[in-house]
Order: sequence, then C-alpha cells, then structure tokens
Amino acid sequence: MSDYAQYVDERKQINSFLAQGFTIQRVIENLDGAYVEFTKGEDDGSAYEKHILHITNPDARKYFSVKLIESQAQYKSLQK
Amino acid sequence: MADLKINLAGIQSPNPFWLASAPPTNSGYQVQRAFEAGWGGAVWKTLGDPILNVSSRFAAVSFNGQRVAGFNNIELITDRPLDVNLKEIYETKKRFPDHAIIASLMVEPKQEKWHEIVKRVEDVGVDGLELNFGCPHGMAERGMGAASGQVPDLVERQTYWVKEAATTPVIVKLTPNITDITATAEAAVRGGADAISLINTINSLAGVDIDTWNTVPHVGGKGAHGGYCGPAVKPIALHMVGECARNPHITVPISGIGGISNWQNTVEFMLMGATGVQVCTAAMHHGFSIVEDMIEGLSNYLDDRGINSVMELVGKSVEKYSDWGELDLNYKVVARINQDTCIHCNKCHIACEDTSHQCIDLLKDEKGASYVKVREEDCVGCNLCSIVCPVDDAIDMIELPSGLPPMTWNERQAAVNLSAIQPNVIGK
Repeated sequence: MSDYAQYVDERKQINSFLAQGFTIQRVIENLDGAYVEFTKGEDDGSAYEKHILHITNPDARKYFSVKLIESQAQYKSLQK
Repeated sequence: MADLKINLAGIQSPNPFWLASAPPTNSGYQVQRAFEAGWGGAVWKTLGDPILNVSSRFAAVSFNGQRVAGFNNIELITDRPLDVNLKEIYETKKRFPDHAIIASLMVEPKQEKWHEIVKRVEDVGVDGLELNFGCPHGMAERGMGAASGQVPDLVERQTYWVKEAATTPVIVKLTPNITDITATAEAAVRGGADAISLINTINSLAGVDIDTWNTVPHVGGKGAHGGYCGPAVKPIALHMVGECARNPHITVPISGIGGISNWQNTVEFMLMGATGVQVCTAAMHHGFSIVEDMIEGLSNYLDDRGINSVMELVGKSVEKYSDWGELDLNYKVVARINQDTCIHCNKCHIACEDTSHQCIDLLKDEKGASYVKVREEDCVGCNLCSIVCPVDDAIDMIELPSGLPPMTWNERQAAVNLSAIQPNVIGK
C-alpha cells in the first residue's frame, strides 16, 4: 500500500469514529506510532464506549492532531 | 539612487562592503588600493605581538570545476611591528577620512596588554576596534584567538577590559568553533561590546595528497589544522548570524562574515540581521575590483524595489527564521515536472527512487517515448528532484492546499500532552 493509500485508510477510520459521536480522549505515542483513544457515552446517559485506533501513517498522525486541537478548542469555548 | 551608507554601532561607512581582517588588509598599500577600488571599510589584519609565519600557508578546495569553493589558511596575525602598522593606518585614514578603518586586535588575555594596545591603536585615528577571539590556528595554541573565544567568561572579561580603555566602538569577532555561538555573543554583550562580527574561520584540514600522503598544505612534510572560509561556509555563517540576530539578549549590531562573494550574498546577510558585511576569500580569489559589481548590483537591487537606504534591509528576514517546532506541519508543496523543458535525463527519478520517497514514475507515452511524472499524492515536497535537476524551471515546487489548518509541532505536542494529563476533559 502506498503511503497515501494508507493515509486515506487511517483518515477514514478516524472520521468514522468522529462521525459516530466519538471524541479523542487520549493519545499515547511510542515507537510503534500513535494509539488514539476514542470514547463516547456516559455523560448523556448512553452506554460508555471506548475504541483505540493504532495510527502509523505520518499524515494521519497530523490529521488526528488537528482534530484533537479542534476538540480542545471547542471544549475551551464551551467553558467560557 | 539608493543610499548605501551604513552606520554600524557608530562606525560610518560609505557602503556595507568591508574587507575582513586577513591577508588583503595586511598593509597600507593594500587597504588604500581597496579603498580606491570602492571598498567602504577595512578591518586591518590583526595587530598584536609580531609573530613568525611558515611558508606554504593557503589551500583551496575545488569542487566539480569550481575553484576555491572553500579556502583554508594557516597564516597567523601580522608579522610586522605595531608601529609600522600604526603609521600606515594613520596615513591611510588621512587619505581616506570617510572610509572605515577598524583595527583587529589580539593579545594575551591580560588587562594591561589590552589597555596598552587599545590606547596605541586609537591614537592613530581608527574608527573602531575588532577583538579577534576567533582565529583557530597557531594563536589559539598560545591561549589567544579561538582559545579565548570559546570560553564565554574570557570573552566577557576581555571585552570589559577593552571597554575600560576604548573610546571607539568595540566589535567582538566570534569563533564558529563552538557548539552555540550565541553563548559567546551574549558574553560579548555582557562585557559591553558595541557590536559583534561573525564568523571567523572553521577548523579544517583542506585535504591529504593521496600520492605523497602529505597534508594539504604541508610545511616540509607536516601539517596543522587551519581556518576554513569561502563560499562553502556561507550557509553556516548565515545560520549563526541569524541565531544571534533573533536572540533577545544580543542587542548589538552584527557585522556579517563568511563566504560572502557578491551583492546577493550581502543582501542575504543584511536581511538576516547584519548591518554590513566583511569579505576576504572572494577578494583573494578575484581581486579588489569585485566590489564594483557588488556596489552596482546592490544599488540596482535597492532601486528596483524602491528602497531608499541599504539600512532598511537590516534584519527584515529575522522574524521568518524560527525554530523547527514553529513550522506549519500542514504546509504542503509538491514537485511538478514541466514536460516542455524536461531533457529526460531521469536524474529526478533516480534521486527520488534511490534516496527519497519513490514518487516519480518513469512512464512511456502512446508513441513509446519515456517521460517522468510525479505522483503528487505521494510527494512529500522534499525538493530533492528540483535540486538535482540540471535544467532551470524544469521542475517547480508547487504549493498545494492541504485542506487542514496550520499546525506547528509545538501546538500539536501541547494538545497531545494535554490529552495525557487531562484525558477526560476533552470528551466531555
């Protein structure tokens, strides 16, 4: 698989979780890449769900970082 | 016509082109020839206790037909008595009162030694002093030059001693043979320096003769490390000038030195924070008359842009020189090959395939003729293909929108670290 195809694939998985209402809860990075923890539920009464995506493509790591920054900015704006 | 005059820490010069302290400024005869040719200033070859030189002093590195891509020397400071130099400085200054003459100085790191030479040199009317804390060979073995310049405390203390006695601006010349040149630049500022100049030469051995097994140069079969300069060192010098220029603790003007060979290089150094430049190797290679093209080229450049004074260039690119962590990770360029100008040498394909990211395909058209094409989605924008391409404009690096907002490494890490510290706040 080309790097670009891998990027598209991993971006698709990230987008899929976000579209289902998951948010990026935590990121753990190590020698093998990034493990991105997506969660949803609990606060709104729905069942708590957690999924971890292993992201290895560098462009995909940029992509989830942008989404993480966006969600943190959104959280900050809600706090005001 | 734009005003080329500069004012570096109070030292006035009719243009930003000075000869650096080196063989071209060894005598009044040479400096006067240089001023006649058009040089705005000269830093006199370093004065100090007269030394003894060896024979066979210079060597050059040629690369792919370009002679003197780099230049190496093992010559020391002046070997002429101080009073001879002072007499010639006086005569030169009298004949060229509007040109800048700066005396380069080097003595042992003792207060009384600095006081003595400062007073004697200033008595003949120099416009400023440059402290040679950079010469890497010979004098360093005696505790002077780079040996002093590599120790921030010694730089600060000696600068302070000079300032105790000096009435003219004091420039501290820094050695690049140190991990972080801003450490010694800051020390110079703490010592009271009015300006800094950089870079002095880089420790070097020009080569080894593979037939005789002698060093290049050698002195009767033995060699010693020298100081490297010339076009090859320009990127190193430009970086160090930029690092000093953007350091908030280094608040004094900078005289840029290191491989400057033409007016374009001068513009680069001034944009990166230098108030003027010093030149040596290019003058040694081509003679003093190169300054004519430098003056004309710089003047035209300023006029074309409607810039009234060369001083307006100083530091204009400094804010663009940052840390890697502040670069936008989502900025994207890709290579695009112009099929009309491509000569089908395939160097781009080979370079990309062997040493980069394998995104330039070697294809055949319907007539069976080969051509190269970039798979833009896989191109990381490394620039290598455009660097190795022998034809101007055959490969352009094109900006593409990434579709993502700007994001620096520092911003990203802050977000990732926050998620690790406060994982639950984000999802709520």
